[in-house]
Amino acid sequence: MSLVAERPGAGAARPYHFPEVVRRGGVVAAHLPGQALAIAILLIDAGAGREPSGREGVAAVVAKALEEGTAKRDAAAYALALESLGAELFTAVDWDSFRVGVQAPVDRLPDAVALLAEAARTPRLDPADVARVRDDEVTALRMDWADPGPRAEAALRADLFGRDQRHGSPLHGDPDSVSAVTVEDVVRYHRTWFRQPGTLLVAGDLTTVDLDALGAAVLAGAGDPVEGAGGPLPIEPRTGRRVVLVDRPGSVQSTLRLGHAAAHRAHPDYVAMTLAATVLGGAFTSRLNHLIREVRGYTYGIRGEFGQSRRFGRLLVSANVQTAVTVPALVDTVGEISRTAAEGVTEEELAVARSWRAGQLSVELQTPGAIAGALATLVVHDLPDDYHATLRTALLAADEALVSRAATRHLNPAGLTLVVEGDAAVIRDELVASGLGEVLDAPL
Amino acid sequence: MSPTGYPWPIETARLDNGLRVVVSEDRTAPVVAVNIWYDVGSRHEPEGQTGFAHLFEHLMFEGSAHVAKTEHMRLVQGAGGSLNATTNPDRTNYFETMPSEHLELALWLEADRMGGLVPALTQETLDNQREVVKNERRQRYDNVPYGDAWLRLLPLLYPPGHPYHHATIGSMEDLNAADLATFAAFHTTYYAPNNAVLSVVGDVAPADAFALAEKYFGGLPLRPDIPPAPDGTRPAPPGGPARDDVVSDVPAPRIYVAHRTHPFGSPEYDAVTVVATILGNGRGSRLYQRLADGARLAQPDYVSAYGVDLAHAPAPLIVTVTARDGVSAADLEEGLAGVLDGLVDGIGQEELDRAKALLATAWWRQVSTVAGRADALSRYATQFGDPARAGERLPAWQAVTLDAVAEVAAELRPENRVTLTYLTEEKA
Repeated sequence: MSLVAERPGAGAARPYHFPEVVRRGGVVAAHLPGQALAIAILLIDAGAGREPSGREGVAAVVAKALEEGTAKRDAAAYALALESLGAELFTAVDWDSFRVGVQAPVDRLPDAVALLAEAARTPRLDPADVARVRDDEVTALRMDWADPGPRAEAALRADLFGRDQRHGSPLHGDPDSVSAVTVEDVVRYHRTWFRQPGTLLVAGDLTTVDLDALGAAVLAGAGDPVEGAGGPLPIEPRTGRRVVLVDRPGSVQSTLRLGHAAAHRAHPDYVAMTLAATVLGGAFTSRLNHLIREVRGYTYGIRGEFGQSRRFGRLLVSANVQTAVTVPALVDTVGEISRTAAEGVTEEELAVARSWRAGQLSVELQTPGAIAGALATLVVHDLPDDYHATLRTALLAADEALVSRAATRHLNPAGLTLVVEGDAAVIRDELVASGLGEVLDAPL
Repeated sequence: MSPTGYPWPIETARLDNGLRVVVSEDRTAPVVAVNIWYDVGSRHEPEGQTGFAHLFEHLMFEGSAHVAKTEHMRLVQGAGGSLNATTNPDRTNYFETMPSEHLELALWLEADRMGGLVPALTQETLDNQREVVKNERRQRYDNVPYGDAWLRLLPLLYPPGHPYHHATIGSMEDLNAADLATFAAFHTTYYAPNNAVLSVVGDVAPADAFALAEKYFGGLPLRPDIPPAPDGTRPAPPGGPARDDVVSDVPAPRIYVAHRTHPFGSPEYDAVTVVATILGNGRGSRLYQRLADGARLAQPDYVSAYGVDLAHAPAPLIVTVTARDGVSAADLEEGLAGVLDGLVDGIGQEELDRAKALLATAWWRQVSTVAGRADALSRYATQFGDPARAGERLPAWQAVTLDAVAEVAAELRPENRVTLTYLTEEKA
């Protein structure tokens, strides 16, 4: 064996440049020379936060219904027209936005964008089709809810935010709320929110792309912009921990979802919070993954992060652990969150976290899809064109005091909700005896 | 349409110890991907040692001669990089994408665990990662509805003793029995430079990459007699249809139909890839149009058809549909058989063109990152002896004719069919 013993140092760094952002009318674009594929996404302010109470999930039904034929052609003809370009319509609903997009070889982008506009602006929304799509969505949610995870997530949201708040329910609703969606709800949601111009995001090799024509295809004839949804919602910090048990008889693992309410995305501590969560549970070398996976072997993986949107945020820690070690895994997890809140982070850990987060900006932002996602971040959160460059600088400049202060300020181990989805008959007594918090049964 | 699916430069070299090095320069972004394929997978595992290749993959992250336990991940992430590894029946791959100034670190780490893993292997590490892998198995296969489908399909598709007969994740019994000496021997046997391909793609000059490869890997010894996996290229023909009916706590009846087809890389398998796309990819596909939309037997979100790209034996084509509310497994199965059997009645030019357009987009998406490109180059160098053959796949798909599609479609006969059904408990 002849190995080089000495670990090499870094070479000379070549700076990463986020592509120049082109803003023209309602189009926000980035030029990526040499990319074979291009992507276009219509981004509108019609995310789940806009859904009416009791109809959680209506936006996801709208998303599916857009492809059930347009004013010009039926569903089968639409699918064939789009897929013959090598494109498929993709839709995404998050708390703040609704996205409808296409990705295709760049020479076919104009045709694909015309079809995108056709589906988004002039869907047929035939009542029989809409009802069927709604029923299919209910069935799909039931399928999804048979997996471990969705019920735990619903229980956590309900406990953190309350069922009277939209974000106290799952992002895509639940089987009951989607069952309650009527054809009229779907038609109304589309009529209310899909007349706004929105923003067309384009990423790809723009050498031969006529951005004005793409913009006109999607934005011409649109109505007025909609009013903003409102500012950040207040947070009331909790003082007591509670355990919420979701029964899953016979489960060989317990699905853990721990969290508490936290600051929204535009909070000035955003960068420091991101780094604190990276040390706690974001990187493979994080405190949680190190202890729960690499030392204890309780899990295949554990993650912790702040999830933040325009109006609210939360801490979320997720793992699946073997049933027999449910309580020890929870004790260790709460212990690491408490330690991080009390002691902050070390410079050694922070060095990894900040280099990783900064490096990931260049490593991850390679494809048209990733760049379009970054453009969406600029639009949704009203950020300037140089945001990604500024973010990199801010990540690299965050010092131990700043990040430790954010850990102390934004982690609330005493107010955690610990949702455990597992075999209640096996784990209940040990959970009660653990003293981790009052044990409640999820009202599901 | 590009005449090649790989319009970037490729340069290759072979070190004296047999390590093949592939470099593909692209200065678009200051990032570089490093990817190593070891030509060892679960097809090499003897009876009683299922899951060992994959468990071994985990041990490769736990330290080596000059890298302390847990240091590997910390060094890569601390340099801003992404990393992972995967094991399948054919091979094991390890990869990282780094800001390009840290290329040398990535090569040093890979060389250290290629040449210096055994001294760092400990019982404690093995015991820990065994538990992690058992939890991976619980999370992915045991604790989710339909999670064991792949585990059930393989033994129906491939006879006992065939290298694809067992699943890569392995059995709990075999994992429990794994001992340290076996893993030390596994490394010595298979993790040799002449059993690997190293690909470096992105922000690097080829000459620099070759020099670094020589610096870090050049001192590792060649292993002269690496034992091959059992030959699986000509499994006994299926002795008729096979099926497995499972009654389980699932939310809806589901059917998997599978056929053994042709090895990945063959012209016939290219036609299978096109047929799978015609059948199950997109809303314009036959399964969607006929079973989800037309007859309303299947849930639209859960129809699919795909080939599993394995190269060392006839690869599987898997087709799956899940029943809508109120539809019986029998009706669904009859509908699915109708779609499959109907392929021989002819496939239209429009369907063929649609499939080719979707495959072109899928290809360009795969090679849109330096990591995707590096993995493709490693694959084609390992399995076909020449990384440049990565450029042939897309044109080969585009060249598939209606006749070629009809030929492979005719092979999907009911007597060669493997059927796996999941039935809900209430209806049993």
